[in-house]
Amino acid sequence: MSEMQASSPAPIAEHENTKLAMWVFLGGEVVFFVSLILLIIFTRLTHSDYEAQFRSHLSIPVIALNTFVLVTSSYFVVRALEAISFKDDRKALRNNLIMVIVLGFLFLAGQAFEWTSLFGEGVNLASTYGSPFFTVTGIHGTHVFVGILWAIYLMFGHRRMPFTKENHLGIENFGLYWHFVDIVWIVLFTVIYLI
Amino acid sequence: MQTAKRPNYLFVFIALAGFTLIETLVSYVQQAAIKLPTLIVLSVVKAVLVLLYFMHLKFDSKLFSYLFIAGCVLVIPLILAMVLIMPVITP
Repeated sequence: MSEMQASSPAPIAEHENTKLAMWVFLGGEVVFFVSLILLIIFTRLTHSDYEAQFRSHLSIPVIALNTFVLVTSSYFVVRALEAISFKDDRKALRNNLIMVIVLGFLFLAGQAFEWTSLFGEGVNLASTYGSPFFTVTGIHGTHVFVGILWAIYLMFGHRRMPFTKENHLGIENFGLYWHFVDIVWIVLFTVIYLI
Repeated sequence: MQTAKRPNYLFVFIALAGFTLIETLVSYVQQAAIKLPTLIVLSVVKAVLVLLYFMHLKFDSKLFSYLFIAGCVLVIPLILAMVLIMPVITP
């Protein structure tokens, strides 16, 4: 039995178990977020006044800029991973994580600005389109905030066992989470704002 | 991630930023026949670029891809349910 186990090919390296767990988590997140996106699509399809009642209140250029901010933050995440996994450069890792945190907060600031504008124009949680909109973008924003906290932890909480060229799975798992949050926003940007 | 393979992250980032700009401009087009398919295709292309290169699915174990695809397959009943319910509740 042990010989059979030893000879069977392992689909992933043993040290990548946490990455496997992250992908299982992200598979679940797909179901969660698609359910929320369907809520928005369902509301739009069952009402005919989306353009007049809601979309006219949205500022597409501001949100396009916010989308660019989140996409840029994803680029800095891969730069952080590259810095540690190829160059073993902890300073570059830290600097790139700082950029991710700054851009993450900038994205949330953009979202807060948008929410404030919408509240000012009478779009609130009780309105037909406001309810699914604030629910979905709020949950997404919470994910961004959790990602920011995670990045801060990676910067300051790992001093006792710093990341190296050989040991950087923590950065890679964080990257998977952050990029997934980016993908969700790419879809939300199209479904809510552009179409 | 297999460290031997290094995608050009800057190229992927420029592509994502460029597609975002194109999407934004296309959203002002009035013809739905052009606007809708273009926006959907661009959105899918952007998501796939992030998955393949930033999340390294192109280079990593296929098991990770299967797990992500499993999540996508699981939502099919939800979409079908919505399609079936729609004619019932739409006035």
